[in-house]
Amino acid sequence: MDRFVVSRGHSEGYHPERRHALWLSTVLICCSLTASAQKITQGGDTSAPFSTRATHLLGFANAKNNSTGTLSVQDDWLQFQQNGKPGTQVKIGSVRDVFLGGESKQVGGLPMTLGKAAAPFGGGRAVSLFAHKKYDTLTLEYVDADEGIHGAIFQLTKGQGELVKNELIAQGVTINSRKDQSTKESATEAKHENK
Amino acid sequence: MKTSKCGLSIVFVIALVAVILALPGMLPGQTAAAKSSGGDGTSAMRWSVQVDQVDPGNLDLASSFQIAIYENLVEELKKTNQFQQVFRDGDLKAGEAPNLLVLKTTVEKYTPGSETRRAVTTVSGATKLTVRSQLLTREGNVVFEHTVNGDVRFFGSNLRATHNLAHNIAKTIKQSSWSGSGQPTAILTGQL
Repeated sequence: MDRFVVSRGHSEGYHPERRHALWLSTVLICCSLTASAQKITQGGDTSAPFSTRATHLLGFANAKNNSTGTLSVQDDWLQFQQNGKPGTQVKIGSVRDVFLGGESKQVGGLPMTLGKAAAPFGGGRAVSLFAHKKYDTLTLEYVDADEGIHGAIFQLTKGQGELVKNELIAQGVTINSRKDQSTKESATEAKHENK
Repeated sequence: MKTSKCGLSIVFVIALVAVILALPGMLPGQTAAAKSSGGDGTSAMRWSVQVDQVDPGNLDLASSFQIAIYENLVEELKKTNQFQQVFRDGDLKAGEAPNLLVLKTTVEKYTPGSETRRAVTTVSGATKLTVRSQLLTREGNVVFEHTVNGDVRFFGSNLRATHNLAHNIAKTIKQSSWSGSGQPTAILTGQL
């Protein structure tokens, strides 16, 4: 009987190390899927262009204000491409300064605002208390062909602003004048929200 | 006596007819003259403006706010059609413009707000900006000076205050009785 059990186990190919390898590969696959969902491309690979989702608030070349798209750094160009539309770009060499900030905004846009306003017994206000999200704001200062100064503001998912800024610095943009105001702005906003 | 009265009335009627006939001829002439002088005046006084970057003064104003005010000002001034051309700060073409004014904006007061507070309380959390706007000639003469406010009280993000501010500045410049003569004596001061 003992001989039978042992021989059966061997015949089914029970290998604990193989099972561990299977678990490890499953975990790795899950991690890679999560990473790709968070971001389109990581900036770690120098040969691949860096890109991330962003909302253009104002000022960038001919891009439409308050439009969502992809902000990418590729071949000395900073490009913003709206979904399904041709992109607008600015030469990275013309970028004179980059500032990073932070802001807390209500989510849901106009439909959510209308819904909150329509909610009875001040229910909308209670929803507003929780329906906000923190974003990074990336402010760029660049010059055109006539040396005229332009400014552009992008809104990015929290943490992405730093990556874009680092990518721009890696491409040769110098940060010279004013210091970042991410911590300062966040602190001011938090102070006001806690009041 | 009767004949003289009749003759007088005839003379009066003839004079009246002459005046009526002469008036339509004179009025268009006057209008044309007025038009030509007015037209010449406006074309001669067509100024261009260069928008300088926003001076935060002693205040701790975020760079995004400074840039947003500057960009919105350029856009709003273009919309007014008051100026022949609207140049940006540092634009080399501005040096060639014959009649150039420089718009300087200095932030005097800034109250940071919160969109969440506005949404929850409605009455608090407003973002407020107060700036001093000056139009200067190349020689440095101030031809227009106003203190303008911009805020966002109910709906919209904090940056919307910069749009409202720029809109108010452009509106103030458009509505002001600034003649465009560029004389320092014509300083217009006020508050909106």
